Amino acid sequence: MTKIIKKELVEYPYLSEPLKVFTYKNGHKVVLARKESPMINVSSWVKTGSINENAQNNGVSHFVEHLLFKGTTKYPAGVFDRTMEEKGGIINAATWKDYTFYYINIPKEHFPLAFHMHADMMVDAQFPKEEIGPEFNPNGEAPSEKRERYVVIEEIRMGEDNNWRKVYKNLNKSMYENHPYKREVIGTKEIIANISQEEIKRYYKTFYSPKNITTIVVGEYDENEVLKLVEENFVFSTDEKIQKCKTDKKKPEIKIKKPKTVFDYSEVNTGYIMIGALCDSAKNLKETIALDLLSTILGDGKSSRLYKNLVESQDEPYYYQIESCHYQFKDGDNFFIEANFNADKKDIVENELKEYLKGLEKIEEEELKKAKKRAKVNFAQDSEMVSDIADSIGYWVTVCEDLNLPKKYLKTLNDIDCKYLQKVAKKYLNPKNVSVSILLPKGENNAAL
Amino acid sequence: MQHYNKNGINILLHKSPSTPRYSVSFFFKVSKKEKYNGVNSILARLLLQGTKKYSALELANEFENECIDISVKAKQDYIKISLIFLNEDFKHAMELVKDLIINSTFDDFEKEVFKIKGEIVSDLDNPKMKLTDTFVRNIFKEHPYSSCHTKILEDIDNIAKEDIIFAHKQMLEAEKSIVVVGDYNNEQDLIDFFANEFPFMESKISENEIQDVFKNEIQQDETIWISKNDASQAQIIQGWLIDSFNSPLCAKYAVMNNILGSSGLSSRLFVNLRDKQGLAYTVRSQYDTMLHSAIFNMYIGTAPNNIQKSLDGFKDELQKLADNLVTDDELKGAKENISGRLKYFTQNNSQIGAVNGYNYMMGLGLQYNELFLDDVNNVTAQDVSDMAKRLLSMPKLVTILAPDEYKF
Repeated sequence: MTKIIKKELVEYPYLSEPLKVFTYKNGHKVVLARKESPMINVSSWVKTGSINENAQNNGVSHFVEHLLFKGTTKYPAGVFDRTMEEKGGIINAATWKDYTFYYINIPKEHFPLAFHMHADMMVDAQFPKEEIGPEFNPNGEAPSEKRERYVVIEEIRMGEDNNWRKVYKNLNKSMYENHPYKREVIGTKEIIANISQEEIKRYYKTFYSPKNITTIVVGEYDENEVLKLVEENFVFSTDEKIQKCKTDKKKPEIKIKKPKTVFDYSEVNTGYIMIGALCDSAKNLKETIALDLLSTILGDGKSSRLYKNLVESQDEPYYYQIESCHYQFKDGDNFFIEANFNADKKDIVENELKEYLKGLEKIEEEELKKAKKRAKVNFAQDSEMVSDIADSIGYWVTVCEDLNLPKKYLKTLNDIDCKYLQKVAKKYLNPKNVSVSILLPKGENNAAL
Repeated sequence: MQHYNKNGINILLHKSPSTPRYSVSFFFKVSKKEKYNGVNSILARLLLQGTKKYSALELANEFENECIDISVKAKQDYIKISLIFLNEDFKHAMELVKDLIINSTFDDFEKEVFKIKGEIVSDLDNPKMKLTDTFVRNIFKEHPYSSCHTKILEDIDNIAKEDIIFAHKQMLEAEKSIVVVGDYNNEQDLIDFFANEFPFMESKISENEIQDVFKNEIQQDETIWISKNDASQAQIIQGWLIDSFNSPLCAKYAVMNNILGSSGLSSRLFVNLRDKQGLAYTVRSQYDTMLHSAIFNMYIGTAPNNIQKSLDGFKDELQKLADNLVTDDELKGAKENISGRLKYFTQNNSQIGAVNGYNYMMGLGLQYNELFLDDVNNVTAQDVSDMAKRLLSMPKLVTILAPDEYKF
């Protein structure tokens, strides 16, 4: 049994009472958020993802995520899924660069059982060989026994047929020099086909430690009941003997060192382009909010600069889809423009879109006002459902590592003016410092190069 | 959710205390055949492209400056305008939506047609979209429900602005309803507001031209192959036209569907084709209901050399359901899963509005969810087996997208 060494109350906008944050002696954190709802959400956020991988084990974080559903000492593979879904639960998990999280949304009357089984899965995953499936050569004969290893390879294959994913993969790789972010979260067929059970267990034991995990409960909970369930069920086993996984150096890269344009070709009828820039960490709240606002102004909605000028004001627009977006990461954010266009225009789109990045060095008051309202509404929207609240808390705890940021969000947003936005745009979104990825129909090679 | 009728206007209200955003939807039932495929889709797009008072851009600014999220969707059985906005913006949002419903000019017709053509070509770059498009087109054959991207592309140059204006007139003459979910103060004020400000929302019953979908039912097993030579995965949809929500079989199909492939990670397709055989990342079954028909289908994305194995897997799982009665536990679990999912998908204001508005518009009534769950609770193991047998006895349509070298 591990003791609570700290209990904090943390103000959280739009909730009727502060969050209750319990820190246990072993480092495990538990966050409780009250929200009236017939559903309750239980999730655990693990501070690991492709950020902790190297060239040899790329994809292991995501593979482990799949395998956590494959049985514990108490419950063999399939029992957790069946039991939760038979109670009306919706269960799943996701892996990204900085985190992996597991969740259950379930009618609140089933909370104790859901919590028990969720905790069991987090602390006692067994990774049975028969569930992982045999190692094999992905370029040779497929194994007769295709288990979870093959499921992940099918997921990789599915991504290969996704045009946007192809463009993103090429761009992401071109933006970084050394940081593990340069790799795809899902890994490669070769690594997944060959990774051993031992390596998988080593990764789990290294990164699924109590200090790396935050468990979040959102809904109508009974505090004493939750704490009792934590004590009874989050019993972590320690294995000091296990050799810990080594990770690559994680020196943040917040500017692309060698900006480039990369091309790819496929059986498509239209062109796809993504332009990407690196920025500072999501922990830098003011800059992160500023980048959100810049993204709204540039490419969110029909009145945004990109849509208004390149689609709405054109008699025969050649962009079919165009937007900008901002991804938040612990070791540095990404800012993107993405567009799908008539491939005949392949020679002009890159420079045309870069001009719009340059244009962000001038922001109008009206644009800022609109973007701020959008940010406020999005922030409020994140508190509508138990699952939204849990996801937001997970983000603040795992990526930003600071649960006090949400209460500073609205004031920080209000403090931002046009001058500050222009400064941030100049700092990060200079067209000379971006990389570009373009996917074109096969046969367009010569003209594009 | 309560139903009120004032001045012939159907108003559905649901109070959600302490919520910061309203959800308001306007439903227009589609009961006339489109003159050409795509007329209603273009109409839906043009409703956001300018009114007598605002140009398209000004309209976008009016909505987006206040973060009033609006969408207009043309579905098989209805056109729906949905808005979500902060409580303080109620009046402004209603002024804007009233303007676009009655004062749209459709002046951007040619430009919007041009945009839609490009977007369709772009959408069809997505293999799954191409597969679904082919499936829908072929399962509904000449029925209006077969309207899909490729059919719209074939018809779009025949559509004139006058066709859109006519479709708009039909929309205003249709059965309609307004659905409001939010933290309002006074119910009666809200009813009076809509009765006075939205007289054009008076509901009118007109003869439904869209019927007889089963006339076009596929007569024998059919397989359609779509070539995609650089595809890493084969994509397969196998489906049938079956009874919809107005049939006593609906709850039985729903339970069978849940057990077979829609409960999540524990469905039979998921466990047996994905977990045990590693055939796919995505495999599922789906029961899509519409007013005049429904589609039951199974989908898998798999390695191209596993096409036959996947089709055999579909057949085996259905056969097992037909031949062996499901256990009491599995049956009970499926019923609870359906009930839990319904709770999950009716949490926020827009979800509550969407589900109840749809039920009302389809003539199912506001108690439909409860009645449906009662029906679900009455489903027996024998019913599940019978539904699987029905599917096995009916001709099916299989659509496969894959490289040609795997064609059989």
